[in-house]
Order: sequence, then C-alpha cells, then structure tokens
Amino acid sequence: MAGGGGGLELPERQRRGKKHSKRTKKKRLGFRIDMTPMVDIVFLLLTFFMYTTTMVTPQVMEISVPKEVEENVEVNQANLFTLYVRGDGKLFFSMGTDEPQPLALSDLRSKAVELNLLRKNKLITAFKPSPDAPYGVVVQVLDILNQAEAEIIRQLQAEGVKRERKFAFVKLSPEEVEKLKGL
Amino acid sequence: MPKIKKKRLGFVIDMTPMVDVTFLLLTFFMFTAKFKTEAEAEQKFVIKRPYASADTSKLPDKDIAIIKVGIDTLTGDTSYYYTIVNELQRRQVYDNLNFTPDQRKPQLKVSLDLLDQLIMQTRITGPRTRFAIDGDRRIRYKWIEDAIDVLRKNNATAFNFVTEKRQ
Repeated sequence: MAGGGGGLELPERQRRGKKHSKRTKKKRLGFRIDMTPMVDIVFLLLTFFMYTTTMVTPQVMEISVPKEVEENVEVNQANLFTLYVRGDGKLFFSMGTDEPQPLALSDLRSKAVELNLLRKNKLITAFKPSPDAPYGVVVQVLDILNQAEAEIIRQLQAEGVKRERKFAFVKLSPEEVEKLKGL
Repeated sequence: MPKIKKKRLGFVIDMTPMVDVTFLLLTFFMFTAKFKTEAEAEQKFVIKRPYASADTSKLPDKDIAIIKVGIDTLTGDTSYYYTIVNELQRRQVYDNLNFTPDQRKPQLKVSLDLLDQLIMQTRITGPRTRFAIDGDRRIRYKWIEDAIDVLRKNNATAFNFVTEKRQ
C-alpha cells in the first residue's frame, strides 16, 4: 500500500516503503515542519510590540537662569535687543529704548545673527514673553535663537573673536503688557 | 476516466522567508521597546510638547525630577505635576515631608507651594538631581514662568525644557 505511491503521497513516504532502502541512509529531502502555530505566536507578539512602542523619544533644551540677586545690574540700554511675545503668539522686537516693532518668526534668525555680528559680544538679548503667551511659541523663539547662535559662533570665530553669549529672561512689567496689547 | 476534482490536501506554503522577516521585526521591536513608568501609566493627561529642531540631547532617565504642566483631558484644567524618577530618593523626600500613605503616589498633582517644598527636599536628598520642565505647548507662559521662579528660589538655575523634534 505504501509503495503504491498515490498522487497525494509525499515523496519521502514512497521511499520509506521500499525494501532495499532499509540500509541506506534516510535522506530527509522534503523535510518540513508545520510553522503555523509558531507564526501565529510570533505575529501576535510582533503586533503587540508594534502597538506599544513609541518611536519618538523626547529631547531636551538646556536652559540656565541667573541666581536670585537683590540688586539690579546696570546695562547699557543701547546694546539691548529685546524680544517680546504677545498673548496671541505675535513676536515683537526693540533695540535699546525704541518702540517695539513686529517681527516675523521667520525673520528672527537673520535679525539675531545680523545684530550680533554688528555689535559683536556687546549685544544683550532680553527675552520678555508675555505671561499669556503660548508656551509653544516661547520655545520656538528660544529654538531659533539657539540656531542663530551656532551661526554667530562660526562667523565670529572666522574673525577671531570668542563668543560670549548674553541672554536673559526678563519679566514683562504691567505697563509693557498694556503697551504690547495696543500694538 | 471521469473528471476527478483534484483535492489539494497536502497544500503547503514555504513560510521560511516570512518567518525570517517577522522574527527580525519582532526582535527589533522587543529591543527598542521602552515601557511606560508607573507614573505615566496613571496620568490623566497627554502632554503635547512644544516643537524644536533636532537636538542630540535626550531626556536622561535617571537622577531627574520632572515638573509637568499638563491640561487634564476631562476637566480641561491646567496644573502642575511632580515626579522624582529615582524611587529611593522619592521615598526619602516623602518621608521628610511626612506624607500620608495615600499621598505617596509616583506622580503628584501639586500646588506651587508644595512644588517649592518638594524641590527643596529633592535638592537636599540629591544635590545632583537635574530638573526638567515638561509643559504642554498650548498653555500660557505664566505657568512656566512661575515654575522657573520656584526653581530659581531653590538655586536650581540650570534645567531643561522637554521638547519634541519637529518632523
């Protein structure tokens, strides 16, 4: 029966039935394992891990603020570059004691680079976000300033000047808040 | 002979290549998987972090205390949450502040006053602990400003803002 070799029989079974092949080494040519249960489990695990992993790891932006000091530090007003963020997320800037002027976020980078190269290390950047400004915009401004910083360092290095960054968070006074609202 | 319908009884597909690829993916996802911490598992808000350009500095996973400013998904209220990642330090801080057992959660919803006390104790128990502010991009800057003031008061002048890479 086994030697009959019906069309549906697998090849190794045909061979096993032959009497003279008793002593010859069994060749496992068409050897197969049923992988279906394993594949089931593997797919289950794979989908589980795919759903549970989050690909984006949060990154950080380093911030340092000065220690709390009682006395105010005198600065030269002329070298003060002030940036304001209004409650609606609009950006303004002013040089020294000038009136704040609107500035597009896309122009901030070139503006910061230009002013810093002009005044070298004398320029002091004061960042005054309004208390009701969206936090996302505040971080965006900081990010742009950080990007500009890389270019400033490179350009100043070409001139042989060592960069000293002067940057500070400054609180907006109530009068300034009112003034910004009117702009 | 009459037509006999061929029955495909022993029909087999070679699954080897598929299994190869599947295992490769499985091992990849298994090794890269990072599970949620206890604190993250029970929080009721999702922080939409502010976008920033790609940065190589990643959020450290030990010796860090995180001040989260989140918007509750149900009530829409903004509040501060505080987590000390190091469990040993967390216990020490809670002991020092005489917390009751039901206050000893891995992530605390805190007021500014309590945040001040917690940060002070964190500084005492671990002077090398770093601080990170993890705020939602939609909140008002006031929240962050107040948190920075508390940090400054406790002489923690260098800290991190947690951001998300802009795609």
